[in-house]
Amino acid sequence: MVGSLNRVMEESGEPQLDAKSKLIDFQWKLGMAVSSDSCRSLKYPYVAVMLKVADHSGQVKNKSFEMTIPQFQNFYRQFKEIAAIIETV
Amino acid sequence: MLLDLSEEHKEHLAFLPKVDGAVVAEFGRIAVEFLRRGSNPKIYEGAARKLSVSSDTVQHGVEGLIYLLTESSKLMISELDFQDSVFVLGFPEELNKLLLQLYLDNRKEIRAILSELAPDLPSYHSLEWRLDVQLASRSLRQQIKPSVTVKLHLSQNGGLSTHVLQADPATLLHLAQQLEQASEEAKTNHCRRVVRSIK
Repeated sequence: MVGSLNRVMEESGEPQLDAKSKLIDFQWKLGMAVSSDSCRSLKYPYVAVMLKVADHSGQVKNKSFEMTIPQFQNFYRQFKEIAAIIETV
Repeated sequence: MLLDLSEEHKEHLAFLPKVDGAVVAEFGRIAVEFLRRGSNPKIYEGAARKLSVSSDTVQHGVEGLIYLLTESSKLMISELDFQDSVFVLGFPEELNKLLLQLYLDNRKEIRAILSELAPDLPSYHSLEWRLDVQLASRSLRQQIKPSVTVKLHLSQNGGLSTHVLQADPATLLHLAQQLEQASEEAKTNHCRRVVRSIK
């Protein structure tokens, strides 16, 4: 079960954002898979993210996904870039 | 129990005495094949040309035969009841015998096909699991917390659904024990008696 980074942005270019959705909570955990049904001896670190989002009607939805370490580093780099650009605004 | 055939159904079946016994037997073979694999309208056209009738007539004849066989098989009517039900159509004795044989020969298979039409609950397809150790979270660092992540694949009406679940090892052990207890239950005297009486 390899983690996969969710596609938030559309491939074509500008993100289609649901501006009325609010991020309520961002939880994360760092885990290591040590064994699975297909491979008994693993040493596979991953980052799991659990988001709580409220849609326009106020209904709260949970969304969770996993990332491998390289995927997470890419993820982290995006936010560093966003933070840097905000500084210039 | 007698079959109650509608006027429309009787009209469709009225085509059968107009053709050879061999043709009716062929229609019977086509009818069962359609029940197994779905219908193929091209067959109607070919037969219609050979018999010099419209393909609609052939289609109705075969479909009438299909319905006669599925209704009889569904209700599991006796030989006598089948003969009495068909008698009202006023067919020659040879044709009645042919139809009865068709019913008896294919009843078991048709019932097996019909049993697949029952409503379907999601059922187990496969299971993947992974043993994880949580090392840190937003609220707590320096942890060693084991947990099991399970990907349960279920199938329903031919489609697959996937459910990702997580449990700590103690809960998983409890789950496994409960499932074992449930399967042990099938070996008790009570269950054995019930199964024997159904058979």
